[in-house]
Amino acid sequence: MKRFLRAAVTAVGLTALATGALASDWTPPGPIKLMIAFKAGGGADTQARLIAEDLEAKLGWKFIPEQVTGKGGMNLAMAIKDQPNDGSVIGIVVTETLGYNMKVANAGVAPSDFTAITTTAGFQMGVVSLSSKGWATFDDMIAAAKAGSLRFGAMSPKLADLAYLLGKAQGVDFNIVNVKGGKGVMNGVNAGDLDLGFMAGIQGKGVAAGDLVNLASALSEPLKQTPDAPTFADLGVPFSADGYFLIIGPGGMPTEARDALAAAVGEVVSTEGTKSNGMISKAFGGAAVIAGDDAQALVQSDFEAAGALLQAASE
Amino acid sequence: MGWFDYVWMGILAVFQGPEMFSILGLAIPVTIVMILMGFLMGVAVGATPGLAGPMAMAVALPILISIFGFTPDALLPVMGFLLGIMKGATIGGAVPAILFNTPGTPDAFMTTLDGYPMTKAGQARKALRVAHFSSASGDTFSDIVLIFCAPFLAVVVERYLDLPEKTALLILSLAFIAAVIGGSVGKGLISLGLGLLAAYVGTGEDFYPRLSMGSQTLAQGFPIAAVVLGVLILGEVFKSIEELWQENRKSGALAVVEQSGDQRLHWADIKRLLPYISRSAVIGTAIGALPGIGSTLAATLGYTTGRAAHARKGRSPAFGQGAPEGIAATEAANSSVSGANLIPVLSLGIPGNAAAVFLILAADSIGGFNPGPSVFRFTGDQVNPEMVIAFGLFTCMMIANLLNWTIGGAFMRSMGFMSRIPKHILLPVVLLLTLTSIYVQETRMVAIWFTIGFGVLGYLMRRLGISPLPFVIAYILGGKLEESARQAFAATGGDAWFLFSSSVSIAFMALTVLVVTLSLRKPKEART
Repeated sequence: MKRFLRAAVTAVGLTALATGALASDWTPPGPIKLMIAFKAGGGADTQARLIAEDLEAKLGWKFIPEQVTGKGGMNLAMAIKDQPNDGSVIGIVVTETLGYNMKVANAGVAPSDFTAITTTAGFQMGVVSLSSKGWATFDDMIAAAKAGSLRFGAMSPKLADLAYLLGKAQGVDFNIVNVKGGKGVMNGVNAGDLDLGFMAGIQGKGVAAGDLVNLASALSEPLKQTPDAPTFADLGVPFSADGYFLIIGPGGMPTEARDALAAAVGEVVSTEGTKSNGMISKAFGGAAVIAGDDAQALVQSDFEAAGALLQAASE
Repeated sequence: MGWFDYVWMGILAVFQGPEMFSILGLAIPVTIVMILMGFLMGVAVGATPGLAGPMAMAVALPILISIFGFTPDALLPVMGFLLGIMKGATIGGAVPAILFNTPGTPDAFMTTLDGYPMTKAGQARKALRVAHFSSASGDTFSDIVLIFCAPFLAVVVERYLDLPEKTALLILSLAFIAAVIGGSVGKGLISLGLGLLAAYVGTGEDFYPRLSMGSQTLAQGFPIAAVVLGVLILGEVFKSIEELWQENRKSGALAVVEQSGDQRLHWADIKRLLPYISRSAVIGTAIGALPGIGSTLAATLGYTTGRAAHARKGRSPAFGQGAPEGIAATEAANSSVSGANLIPVLSLGIPGNAAAVFLILAADSIGGFNPGPSVFRFTGDQVNPEMVIAFGLFTCMMIANLLNWTIGGAFMRSMGFMSRIPKHILLPVVLLLTLTSIYVQETRMVAIWFTIGFGVLGYLMRRLGISPLPFVIAYILGGKLEESARQAFAATGGDAWFLFSSSVSIAFMALTVLVVTLSLRKPKEART
């Protein structure tokens, strides 16, 4: 009898283990290390931390956020590459990291060395200045730039290339200043160190309050907040800063872990009332979830397309 | 949103923050509990020769972060605890100085000169009361100066300094720190250069990892906690262990002196001490506001100025023979450094001493608060959360002062036994705690190896008489220096002479050269 009981208990235990491995029931093997490629305190960093908070509250998963900043997310990519791929280590970057930046870095890695889990939100990338500068439209700013060169803040090399091409298309020379993060651009613009710069959504509150103005959309489509601002295509630049915040993991992550993570993140960022959804709606015009294989395909095509922009900017 | 709104929000952030527990329905905010615990720990640590405030801050920080997490809610409790340690250690250092002729912290050395003679004359408790009163006065004065100066200095810097000037200001601060800390400018510059070198490993804007020699471990740069704790704490521990080994401890038992007479501090005493306290508080605050000089020089200056005034009046006992004025002059000076030291931290992001380094480290690790001029920026109708935190910190400091005035004295007087803790037990404990706390924060073994490596570097620097503080400060400012220099270069349209593009930046650069050459000219006594 005793032996039978023991066998029964073992069998039940095994069944429980087996069920635990099913996709729908996937739980992280322990606390999840969340690497963040953005400077602490900025919009992107806040977004990442709020997603972690929401998941902790909803699913009881524990997150350990860690800043791994620098080199346009490449530091994070290189750091996460060899971490365990069981879902216990994930990182948040931008699609640009696995696209343009990975191409330029030429560090011997490709998007296929990583698992794209899901995007969370798209950029609302605008060319922004203080409204106290007195520029109501993009053309006012260009007129000012013709009178004396302006300082243009960019938070990544790709954006610096775009700023250069914008100046070239408009016949002006910008002094392009590389700044850490959209918050850095905003601080610089507010302090008067920069005349204008790229902001990927952090400008939302300031534009609404009338302190800042979206002069142009650096996207292939108009900005949600300022639909009248011209897009880069309107301004003669055949490239755009279209991109997303992207959660990645080390390459070869098991599909059930990837999909469970993607589903969990996708749900909290899209559910009205969560902290991350509130923040993303305000700053980035709402959640934009592209998960799994679609996300992988997206970064792969960005990676392959990076050459054209590089070519144009080096001419 | 005006200044007063932010002051009020800062106070509320402390008092209405997350609650720890409630007594009789009265919620006790966690920040206040943390300030109290930090303060008590600081006094105990300060009263222990061989331990100092920065050590306790270093060990406590990673543990606190693992408790409170990385949300902005953690900033005030964690930094409140650290501020508590900082303030507690300042008064604690006087205890063994007075009772056992052994300074608990380096800046309490001058306190032994009059404190111990008073103990021998049977006036120990009175000496401790004098030390506490002067220390608390100096500290409070310094904090008030900080609260009024830092925001305005930050606003001025932000409004009038452009990128080239900000770069020049950083260069000036680094040169100043290298020149005034440590025995010689040359050694200061070596320390500074090594710090910058360490800061530039693996960082930078290019996609390829700089100075990493092909190693992926180095490509991420050194973890900031490993560098700071290694050089500052492990280096000190290694050196103390070596000293312990060599000296075999002169174990002359101290004679216990019968304590007699009136031990209380009377209004007449206070009136007599006040000129010394106020003079020293001004000296300490002025010195504290300059990055890098530190409390030991403040104590020395406060003491010598006090001694000159005392000699002019011809009062007895003279300084050095048990004059309460001597204790007052020293303690007011070294305590008033701590508040003023945060002026460059909060308004410029430039740390001036080890305690400030750990506060910056805390802000940096937790996130959501980047000390520097942007903290005090008005953002239209929206709340600037960093400014709320800044005023929350000021509130924490005032609470710590209140604790200091109310329970600090009694607690301090009960801490005499701490100096009997043997160093051969203390040092290994500190070593293990430091390594553990590094692992808690970094959760990878390589961080431990880095810490030990930097510990050896810190030890070697101390052996060669090179102060490790310029190293650490340069390490912290290195990234900022590079960033602002690159930005200034780009913003001026690629002008290689951007540092000399305006009169303000030229003035800063001229001062830089002046500071270094002036310090080269006259050899100085060793300072820390």
